[in-house]
Amino acid sequence: MPERRGNRTRINWPGLATIALVLALWEIALRAGLAQYQNLPTPSAIARGLAEIAGSGQLYEDAAHTLWSVLVGWAAAVAAGVVLGLLLGASPTLRRYSLASIEVLRPMPGIAFVPVGLLLFGFSLQMELMVIILPALWPVLVNTMDAVTGVHARLFEVGQTFRLSRAETLRKIILPAALPGVLVGARLSMTLALVLAVVAEMVGNPSGLGYAVVREQQAMRPELVFAYVAVIGALGMILNAALTGAVAFVFPTISGRLREVA
Amino acid sequence: MRQQILKQLDLVRASLPPLRGLLPLVLLLIVWQLIQSGPSPYFPAPSQWWTAARSLYARDHLVAAFGDTTWTFLQGLALAIIIGAALGILIGVSTFAARALAPLLEFMRAIPPPVTVPVASLLIGYNASMKLTVVVLAGLWPILLNAAAAVRQIDPLLLDVARAFRLTPMERLRRIVIPSVIPSLLTGIRVAIPLAIVITLLVEMLTSLPGIGALMIRSQRNFQSSEVYALLVLVGLFGFVVNDVFAIVEGVIMRRWPPRA
Repeated sequence: MPERRGNRTRINWPGLATIALVLALWEIALRAGLAQYQNLPTPSAIARGLAEIAGSGQLYEDAAHTLWSVLVGWAAAVAAGVVLGLLLGASPTLRRYSLASIEVLRPMPGIAFVPVGLLLFGFSLQMELMVIILPALWPVLVNTMDAVTGVHARLFEVGQTFRLSRAETLRKIILPAALPGVLVGARLSMTLALVLAVVAEMVGNPSGLGYAVVREQQAMRPELVFAYVAVIGALGMILNAALTGAVAFVFPTISGRLREVA
Repeated sequence: MRQQILKQLDLVRASLPPLRGLLPLVLLLIVWQLIQSGPSPYFPAPSQWWTAARSLYARDHLVAAFGDTTWTFLQGLALAIIIGAALGILIGVSTFAARALAPLLEFMRAIPPPVTVPVASLLIGYNASMKLTVVVLAGLWPILLNAAAAVRQIDPLLLDVARAFRLTPMERLRRIVIPSVIPSLLTGIRVAIPLAIVITLLVEMLTSLPGIGALMIRSQRNFQSSEVYALLVLVGLFGFVVNDVFAIVEGVIMRRWPPRA
């Protein structure tokens, strides 16, 4: 995988060589019988498994479901998080009367919502979305709120001097100041959303990549389990790279700072 | 030591938002109780949660289940910290090793920890060591990558000083490397904690190994809605307590390792 730092792209040869070496050792050790693991497939078997699910179209169906849930859940979490974060950031009273509630709810492990979601929605997409949205909301909310409360008071005074209306203050002062916070939160949320989608599919909603891993494990097809795991890892990297790339493209001035944080 | 912890506790308490902020949550529960005061398959009243929690306590060894979950979580976290810090320092010391391993480690980190559960059940089977393995794997990557990055960011001047004083490698590790790594290590642990909790509960849900996760999924399968909500509250409290205890530990440690300006 090419390593991207700054604007130059340089291929990390030692890194690629390490991966190739690990895969080769894995293959050789298993073929030569040096390592005995009943259910550990060789990399070549995993590659054949990958070709099999790609050929049958099963892979696309599973990946499309997971991708769709992640994107919908993430978008909803970001939208709700930004709105709530702006409200809480702008109003000290609102903050005073709800911050403690947020601090109590925030550390709740996302997976704890799976049984409740199953109770309310059964084995369905709604349940999966609930499990994604509720925990993925917090990073966006908290980062947006912190960014807004961090706006220097003098900027608001400048706004008053220019007689900006409320809508203009929001558009010209608050939103630009909140943007880096929103983006940092959105990125954290994206990682979380994928983890939670996979969890929800493994325990609850029987579709998507998470369910596929469990399904192939129960069918005793280790090579397909590993193939799906590789696909999920690749999906995570692609989503992350896509988001970072999109931010760098749309807001070039912020993306440098964003990389430091995440 | 005790005084230090008490002092930190006060600091944490002072940094907590005012209690009146709990108002929305309390109001929600009161309204909920007023609208729906009896049992319900979907939204049982909060008073029912309490009854369910008490019957779980009496009937189902709630304390033992919490003990199992907590023990797995703590063991897994401790192993992840030890292995992650050791490997991270080793990798960070050599620029070449860091560069050569970076893509592999990044890929390992990109794999969402939950999917290691089916893989580990294939390779290890359904038992306590599998449970521990996946919890360790979940917490390992953030700790390892943070430790490695911290070692690489050590001020070269410090290493020059070490050379000037002819410190042995052990002394260099103890006096320069470890102190420089501690703050980043704590950041890595803060990221690892929620992951380790989620994975502990997930393994219990998927494999019915004893613990709170197994209890939650059983209550859901039996449509015991009040039990599900009671356990949700308890797990939430668990997360809250772990979070705060770590904040205290972090505060006590960071007082000895103040971030260098």
